[in-house]
Amino acid sequence: MNKVDRDRSHKAGPGRAVVVIAAVLAAMLAGPAAAEDAKTIAATVCVACHAGDGNSVIPMFPKIAGLQEEYIVKQLKDFMSGRRKSDIMAPVVAALKAEDVAPLATYFSSQKMKAGEAEDKKAVALGKLIFHDGNEETGVPACVGCHQPEGVGHVIYPRIGGQHATYVAQQLKNFAAGERNNDVSRYMRVTAKRLSEEEINAVAQYIAGLGAK
Amino acid sequence: MNKFLTTMMVVLSLPLAAVAQTPAWNELKGELKAALESKGDPVRGEKAFDSCVGCHRKDASGRTSGAYPRLSGQHATVLIKQIADIRAGRRSNPKMEPYLDDHALTAFEIADLAIYVQGLPISSENGKGPGTGVAAGRQIYDRDCASCHGGKGEGNAEKFYPMVAAQHYNYLLRELKFIRDGDRRNANPDMVKAIKPYSTADLEALADYMAQLAPPKK
Ligand code: HEC
Ligand code: HEC
Ligand code: HEC
Ligand code: HEC
Repeated sequence: MNKVDRDRSHKAGPGRAVVVIAAVLAAMLAGPAAAEDAKTIAATVCVACHAGDGNSVIPMFPKIAGLQEEYIVKQLKDFMSGRRKSDIMAPVVAALKAEDVAPLATYFSSQKMKAGEAEDKKAVALGKLIFHDGNEETGVPACVGCHQPEGVGHVIYPRIGGQHATYVAQQLKNFAAGERNNDVSRYMRVTAKRLSEEEINAVAQYIAGLGAK
Repeated sequence: MNKFLTTMMVVLSLPLAAVAQTPAWNELKGELKAALESKGDPVRGEKAFDSCVGCHRKDASGRTSGAYPRLSGQHATVLIKQIADIRAGRRSNPKMEPYLDDHALTAFEIADLAIYVQGLPISSENGKGPGTGVAAGRQIYDRDCASCHGGKGEGNAEKFYPMVAAQHYNYLLRELKFIRDGDRRNANPDMVKAIKPYSTADLEALADYMAQLAPPKK
C-alpha cells in the first residue's frame, strides 16, 4: 500500500459512519427547518461535528470558530461545487441553500477559536522551527508569512492557530497528494509537497497549541 | 504618504527615459514593460508581500545564511526585472518560482511589491564573510565592478544594476559563481565579461568586500 492509499483508507474508516449521520441531518434540514436562521442551523446541524460554537472537540473535524468569514464562504462554496471534495461535508452542503452560506460564515467567524494543546511535546520544537523558519534545504517557506504570527491568518490566509493537529496533518497530506486542490495560487499544494511526514506531524502539533488559551 | 508615493512614481518612471537605447539583455517588453509602466502602490504591495515573507522574512532582510537574499531597499527596477526574468525562465529559481509565477502574481502586483520593498529600511545585520578577503576584494571591485554597481555598492536604478552592498555573503558568492559559470542566464553580458577571469578565491574576496559595505543612504 503506498502512502496515499494508507491515508485514504485511514480516512474512510470513521468517515463512512459520519456520512450516515450527515445524511440523517441533511434529511432534517430539507424540512421546514431550512428557513431558520444561521444560529439554528448551527445548533441543529453543524453541532453534530463542529459543536454549536464551532469549537469541535473531535480531532478529525475542524474547529470552524473564528475562521475568516471570507474563508468560510469560500470553503462552503467549494464543497458545494465539488472543488473541495469531502464525503462528509458534501451531503451537508447539499441540504443548505445558497443564501444560508453568508449568515453561517458570519456566525462562525464571530465565535472565538479555543486553543488546543500539543499532545506530542517532543515534536513541538521541530514544529516551531518549520512554522517560523521553514526549511531552507528543501525550500519550505515559513508558515508565519502567510498565516501570520500565532497563525491567526488574514485576508485569503485562514486561521490555523489552535486547530486540531489531526485535522491539520490530514489537510497537509491531502494538499501534498493533490486530493485537496482548492487553494488559491496552488500555494498549499506546493508548500505541503515539500514537507516530510515528520515535519507535517511536528508542525501540526505546534499549530494546535497556538492562539488564545 | 502622498509625498512618498510621488517620489516612488518618479523613481519608477526614470528608467522609461532610457527605453530608447536599452540593450537586449534588459529589453523592455511584455510584462517587464507593463510592470515598469504601472504606478506601483506600496499599500497593496505590503499585502501581496505576505506570500514572500515565509522565505524573505517580514522585513525583507532575507536569511543571513544566504539561502534567501535580502530584498529590502533594492531598486524597484531591479526587483521587477529579476522577477520578470525568473517568470520567463531566464533566471532559474525552482524554490521560488511556484510562489511568483503568473497564476500567483499579475504584472501590476509585481509593481506594487517592488515599490513596497524598495521603501523598506536595509538591515546591516546581514550575513558577513570571513573578513580576510576585504582588502583584496576592494581592489578588484574598484577596478572592475564599481563602474556599474557604484563606488559604495549602491547600484543604479535607471540601468537595472543591483545594489550589492550589505547583501548576504553566501548569496553574493553563489550569484557570482552562477554569473561567471553561465548558470544565471539573464546577466548583463558586460558583467559576465568582467567576472570571467576570476578564480573562486577572487570571488570569495569580492563577496567578502561587498557584504561588509554599509547600507547605502537613500
Ligand atoms: C457529519 C459531520 C459534519 C457536519 C454535520 C458538518 N460538518 Fe463541516 N466539516 C466536517 C468535516 C469532516 C470537515 C473536513 C472536510 C475535509 O476533510 O476536508 C468539515 C469542514 C468544514 C469547513 C471547512 C473548515 C476548514 O477549516 O477548512 C467548514 C467551513 C464547515 N465544515 C462548515 C460546516 C457548517 C457550516 C456545517 C453546518 C451547516 C457543517 N460544517 C456541518 C464535518 C461536518
Ligand atoms: C504562500 C502562502 C502560504 C504559505 C507560505 C503557507 N500557507 Fe497554508 N494556506 C494558504 C492558503 C491561501 C490557504 C487556503 C486555501 C484555500 O483557500 O482553500 C491555506 C490553507 C492551509 C491549511 C488548511 C486550513 C484549513 O482550515 O483547512 C493548513 C492546515 C495550512 N494552510 C497549513 C500551512 C502550514 C503548516 C504552512 C507552513 C509549512 C503553510 N500553511 C504555509 C497559504 C499559505
Ligand atoms: C520558497 C522560498 C521563496 C519564496 C516564497 C519567495 N522567494 Fe524570492 N527568492 C528565493 C530564493 C531561493 C532566491 C535566490 C535564488 C538564487 O539563488 O538565484 C530568491 C530571489 C529573489 C529575488 C532576486 C533578488 C536579487 O537580488 O536578484 C527577488 C526579486 C525575489 N526573490 C522576490 C520574491 C517575491 C516578490 C516573492 C513573493 C511573491 C518571493 N521572492 C517569494 C526564495 C523564495
Ligand atoms: C556592465 C555593468 C556591470 C559590471 C561591470 C558588473 N556588473 Fe554585476 N551586475 C550587473 C547587472 C546588470 C546585474 C543584474 C544582472 C541580471 O539582470 O541578472 C548584475 C548582477 C550582479 C550580482 C547579483 C546581484 C543580485 O542581487 O542578485 C552581483 C553579486 C554582481 N553583479 C557583482 C559584480 C561584481 C563583483 C562585478 C565585478 C567583478 C560586477 N558585478 C561587474 C552589471 C554589472
